[in-house]
Amino acid sequence: MKPAISFSQFDNTNTRRVKKVEHFLDSVDLELSPDIEVYVSAREDNKMIACGGLSGNVLKCIAISPEKRGEGFVLSVMTQLLNAANDRGRKELFIFSTPKNRTFFEECGFRLIEECDEKIMLMENTQNLEKYKNSLSELKKDGEVIGSIVMNANPFTLGHRYLVESAASQSDHLHIFVVREDASEFKFEDRIALIKNGLSHIENITIHEGSDYIISKATFPTYFIKDKGDVNELHAKLDLNIYRNHLAPKLGITHRFVGTEPYCTVTNNYNKNMKNILEDKNGSSNIIKVIEIQRVEYDHKAISASRVRALLKDKNYEELSNIVPDTTFEFLTKTK
Amino acid sequence: MSVLKKSAYAGTLESSDAYIQVSPIEEDDIKIILESSVKEIYGDAIEELVRKTIQDMNVNNVLVNVQDKGALDFVIKARLQAAILRACEMEQPEWEVL
Repeated sequence: MKPAISFSQFDNTNTRRVKKVEHFLDSVDLELSPDIEVYVSAREDNKMIACGGLSGNVLKCIAISPEKRGEGFVLSVMTQLLNAANDRGRKELFIFSTPKNRTFFEECGFRLIEECDEKIMLMENTQNLEKYKNSLSELKKDGEVIGSIVMNANPFTLGHRYLVESAASQSDHLHIFVVREDASEFKFEDRIALIKNGLSHIENITIHEGSDYIISKATFPTYFIKDKGDVNELHAKLDLNIYRNHLAPKLGITHRFVGTEPYCTVTNNYNKNMKNILEDKNGSSNIIKVIEIQRVEYDHKAISASRVRALLKDKNYEELSNIVPDTTFEFLTKTK
Repeated sequence: MSVLKKSAYAGTLESSDAYIQVSPIEEDDIKIILESSVKEIYGDAIEELVRKTIQDMNVNNVLVNVQDKGALDFVIKARLQAAILRACEMEQPEWEVL
């Protein structure tokens, strides 16, 4: 008789079992993603033979031990994972995996969004990307230079305002995407409200609410390939490929503007990748010119949102008022 | 008339089975999303079966997502009925309408 396979589900507070998953993933050259909330694992003869995780709406760290592959076992694992997600009311799902697994997940109803360097890929089980792209097409504006900026603005500073003003003056129209993910100090509604209030004097701009497809937990997680150096770069590339191949064409975007990054090496690398990917002439869609705009300074120090947050913590309102617009200052002092 | 109170699912992704999710929608409509390993040959027949099964259960506002792995008719029907009963939070089906 075949030994019975048993599935179980547990959450990230069960450290003993999470450790076992980590060990199992290690044996198949994968890394545990720290943001997973719910785990599913399968055991046979008291030995782990498969696992998978759910982080928000993203399925990841799905692995099957080599001797159990090729029997359609992935379908059982996926059934358990989908049940775990559905039980929590999460129906619109993404999968983060490697491109060689694409057909397995297609059999489970997922469609490819984008892959990158044959190393990572993102899939979804809805047609939301298509819907989002169609909604963008309706906001298309004509012009020779159609600029774009993606910002988190946590919170909106005079630096952001300067970046938008310079970009808007160089563009016929400028599209601004506000990162939607609420992983920052300030909530999305507050961040976008401050952006809108701080930019009401500029006419040739459209302010878009971000989506799952622009710098989100789906396009830009922090996990996967062994060598840490690879990780951020691959995620950055995936995100930028989605931007270039799917979103930008719908709005006819020709340029992307970014502020120079004097402090943070991760962001600096992201800017470098941006140039490499968006301006790559061998890409499958039109190139997008990347323009770096020198950060504006106050008192010989570049203005940044992180500085604003530090000043706010120190209650240094006088210096704060010098580097944020009045509208942001009002908000910050009102909610203190 | 039965009313869906929440989303629900039934089935598996295994071969010869189907994984079916149902959720309530605002409009008076039966919306069907079908993926099937035999869609080219049986796609229309499966859709018709799904629609008829839902109508027979007197349900009107539903989005159905069917992930079919070559299940036979009665399997799809049973999975769908189970999902809808769960979504309506009904303990017992009305046997005569099944």
